[in-house]
Amino acid sequence: MKVEMEIMLPDMSDGEDDALEAVVSLWSVDEGAQLKEGDDLLEVTTDKAIFVVPSPCAGVLLEKRVHENDRVCADDVVAVLEADL
Amino acid sequence: MSSIPHKPCCGDNRNLNPAKPSEPPFPSWIRRPLPSGGDRQQVKDVLADLSLNTVCLSAQCPNQGECWSRGTATFMVLGNVCTRDCAFCGVSSGRPAPVDTDEARRVAQAVDRLRLRHAVITSVTRDDLHDGGAALIAAVVRAIHGTCPGVSVETLTSDFGGADSALSLVTEARPEVFAHNIETVARLHQTLRDPRASYERSLSVLRLARTLLPRKCHVKSGFMVGCGESEEEVGATLRDLRAAGCDAVTIGQYLKPRGGRVAVARFVPPDTFAAFEDQARALGFAFVMSGPFVRSSYHAEAVFGGALRSRQTDVSKNDS
Repeated sequence: MKVEMEIMLPDMSDGEDDALEAVVSLWSVDEGAQLKEGDDLLEVTTDKAIFVVPSPCAGVLLEKRVHENDRVCADDVVAVLEADL
Repeated sequence: MSSIPHKPCCGDNRNLNPAKPSEPPFPSWIRRPLPSGGDRQQVKDVLADLSLNTVCLSAQCPNQGECWSRGTATFMVLGNVCTRDCAFCGVSSGRPAPVDTDEARRVAQAVDRLRLRHAVITSVTRDDLHDGGAALIAAVVRAIHGTCPGVSVETLTSDFGGADSALSLVTEARPEVFAHNIETVARLHQTLRDPRASYERSLSVLRLARTLLPRKCHVKSGFMVGCGESEEEVGATLRDLRAAGCDAVTIGQYLKPRGGRVAVARFVPPDTFAAFEDQARALGFAFVMSGPFVRSSYHAEAVFGGALRSRQTDVSKNDS
């Protein structure tokens, strides 16, 4: 069964009221790419490091919702996958 | 294109240039898996339920994802506001709240609920307290030992302003690992640390802890690289720590916290960290963790296990 799934940036909060922001630094795949669970989707850069966002499941990357150099934060939708469930 | 409606992302200023001209860009090895859900969320839930702090959050540690996914956390007691203002640190500095005397019980509860096997207890520096908070830290150690038999405890403390009596309070509680970070090489102390801290005082703390603790307890220290130190200075620091009685050491890359005042001087490559590790082992450290993302309590449970296995090996060699 195939389901469209929004991929949200996980919580990287570093305090009670202060959400950690990141900048999209690299997309590892293009729209239409076939993915396995755990494949690198994109990289985001914070003040501390480059974090790699993996695909949570197998599927196809339908849409990139953010682009390189965009500022993002927790719960932002970064991509839409057509997941194989 | 998907059928899901497009919702705007946070921030009005998209497409900002993330480059920071005053600092070197991140090299390829400063990459981490993004914190995922699972056990990390459980840790956050327990901490929130018991009103506890972790240095993982307060210091913006990049290892949160890995450590928390294993059900490991470093508890920060005595509040989350420090009386000192070290330039490398991301913890808030200012006037702390009064001591929460119930904190020891709640930390022990958290250790129990999270089923930790090794609990790391650290704190902000509390120069406003006559004992620097040592009594509370000792109470946490005893509460964990009492509530969770078999769980080993590591304390990562301040220098207590050089007060031997305060340090004694902590060592009398018999943490399995006593840690105090020297933070950097001698030459850079003035740049990186609060003026109330010093290289020699930190060595004195470690030396005294070694004297007060039984041999079965370990003494540990850690410092950052990438702040402008030379490799010779790193070697000198390792020799000083070993001479002070440390048998465990951690070496990690300095990463500037948000709002931090000191830029990264260089990103030390992994092979240099490996060379530091070799140096430390040659000096006789029983346990060494050296790497870009190593922090004082990173894989702390493995640190303890590593030092203990080394001691057991030494004993068996002596017996043969």
